[in-house]
Amino acid sequence: MNGFKPTNKKAELLLDAADQGHVKEVVAMESVAGCATTFDPGWEVDPFGGVASLCQPMEADLYGCSDPCWWPAQVPDTLTTYPNWDAGSASAWNDWRELDAVFPKK
Amino acid sequence: MIQSGIERKPRSRAAAALVAAAFLYAPLQALAAEPALADASAGLATTRTYCAGCHTESSPAHFQRLSVIRKSPEGWVMTIFRMEHVHGLALPEEARDTIVKYLADTQGLAPSESAAGRFALERRPNVPDLQMGDDLPVMCGRCHSLARVALQRRDADEWLKHMHMHVGQFPSLEYQASSRDRYWWQTATTVLPGKLGGLFPFDTPEWRDWKAGTHAQPTGEWLVRGRTPGRGDYFGTLRVASQGPDAYSAQWSVQYADGKASRATSKVRLYTGYEWRGTSEWESTEVREVFALSADGQRLSGRWFDAQRAEIGGDLTAERADGPAAILAVSPRALKAGTTQEVVIAGRGLKGAVSFGPGTKATTLATAPGMLRVSVSVDAKAAIGERSVSVGKTAAAQMAVVYDQVDRLQVLPGNAIARVGGGKIAPVTAQFEAFGFLEPRPDSAVRTPIALGPMNVRWKLAPRNEEAVKADDVKFAGSIDASGQFMPGAAGPNPERKYASNNAGDLSVIASLDQGGKELKGDSHLIVTVQRWNTPPIY
Repeated sequence: MNGFKPTNKKAELLLDAADQGHVKEVVAMESVAGCATTFDPGWEVDPFGGVASLCQPMEADLYGCSDPCWWPAQVPDTLTTYPNWDAGSASAWNDWRELDAVFPKK
Repeated sequence: MIQSGIERKPRSRAAAALVAAAFLYAPLQALAAEPALADASAGLATTRTYCAGCHTESSPAHFQRLSVIRKSPEGWVMTIFRMEHVHGLALPEEARDTIVKYLADTQGLAPSESAAGRFALERRPNVPDLQMGDDLPVMCGRCHSLARVALQRRDADEWLKHMHMHVGQFPSLEYQASSRDRYWWQTATTVLPGKLGGLFPFDTPEWRDWKAGTHAQPTGEWLVRGRTPGRGDYFGTLRVASQGPDAYSAQWSVQYADGKASRATSKVRLYTGYEWRGTSEWESTEVREVFALSADGQRLSGRWFDAQRAEIGGDLTAERADGPAAILAVSPRALKAGTTQEVVIAGRGLKGAVSFGPGTKATTLATAPGMLRVSVSVDAKAAIGERSVSVGKTAAAQMAVVYDQVDRLQVLPGNAIARVGGGKIAPVTAQFEAFGFLEPRPDSAVRTPIALGPMNVRWKLAPRNEEAVKADDVKFAGSIDASGQFMPGAAGPNPERKYASNNAGDLSVIASLDQGGKELKGDSHLIVTVQRWNTPPIY
């Protein structure tokens, strides 16, 4: 890190950590908190066969799945197939109880 | 993504009272040698009315696209739902049923063609999916079970249209994991259609033979037996009466090994000459029946399940009540040396003395059509191993097993999935059972592992890995009861967890049994995950 000059507090903390030999304590996130397309954490099971890397809570990004037709076998896609699935439930975090399955029960 | 996957099997407890209900050995109605794929004229007319507007009838009874695909009844239900929901088809429920029946009869699957994927039709939970090489799991199996693929028949040109439909309907498909890192579209349109057309072609000798053949009817009297995982074995009777072409009423009377009796009448439709689809109500629960009638009409087998909670259900086997004397089942099959227990012997024509072989003494406690209730005492020093069971002159090999102790426990399913529930989506539970085994011993006749059946064990949950420890999954993901049923936690963000995570979890399900002062254990892997909102009949 010689030659780098910290310009904010986070960078200063990083330099301090490096000086004290603590850099290896900075590890990758175990959970994807609010996932994005590039992470593809999986719907039921994460890429590692567990659940620790699933998008959590799922409601934080549920409409990020239904809007662009991500996981359409599990989440109704509002892009083409079920445009009104989440109608009246603006916040998945608050309104998840109102969301229903799309295939007729009978 | 991974489809819910894997195996299962049931359990039983000490047998109790027998079925008291009268069982009538009415003469079996002759197996009608009639064209089972019923009169199709009404179905054709209805299909013409509701489908030909888009699917041009290019020649009599040949509709564009529609007539070059074959599917299961459930597959046709899903197709028609898509036509209604996506393409604006409007049709009354009766017309939908008529069209499904017509298409399943004239463009269905032969029994040999649906065999591999029946677990999907039967909605069996935690069954490992079909193995189909390297490319199909990635191209199709990321979203669907491969059973869903294997339950359809098309030629290559129609499979190609199927690919186009997918990208048109789900346009971001190409950009998702395992699509964007390969030439997904090129593979889907150049390699896969030919491969699928070769594996699952429209025209097959199996279907031609089945469609042209005559088929047995299920009418008559049956002996039924089955097992409800977590509850135990059941036995009983079934009477099937015709209610019109391929329509039946089925009267069931069954009794569980724990003595509880239950009756129901189901309304049945027979599709494709063998696909039994029934609806009934058992103990206030709406039930679906997905059974297959054997080609000779002598056997009915499959699974029934809760209409709203498909993971909850049981296996069923039925055999004709009239026929040669036979021992069909013994429950429980494991007899512990040095004990006396009650056992149910199910079968036909069971008359005479009951024997479980040397070192045992059997006393008949009660008889009823289709079964006997006996008390079996086993000497403390009786030889361990499998036993033939005989009733009078009727015998059956390997029906029972004498054991002194359980050598090994196996928990099934070995991998399971449960889903949190709440709001409008019910939780998906998971049922576990611990099966005992005798292992080979030099001083006995036991040369290979012998299954003893389900054991009464203690259940507990444990974190599966370090992450599950950190996130305290055992506390949040759910609980398991004394019968081995896991009930997941509530859905929704949980403010008590880091990131307000859902009550997901990665757990070990551990069964334990005391054997001679030692604790015997077996375990299984349980994933507790989030709900799904797309719940068609075939995943």
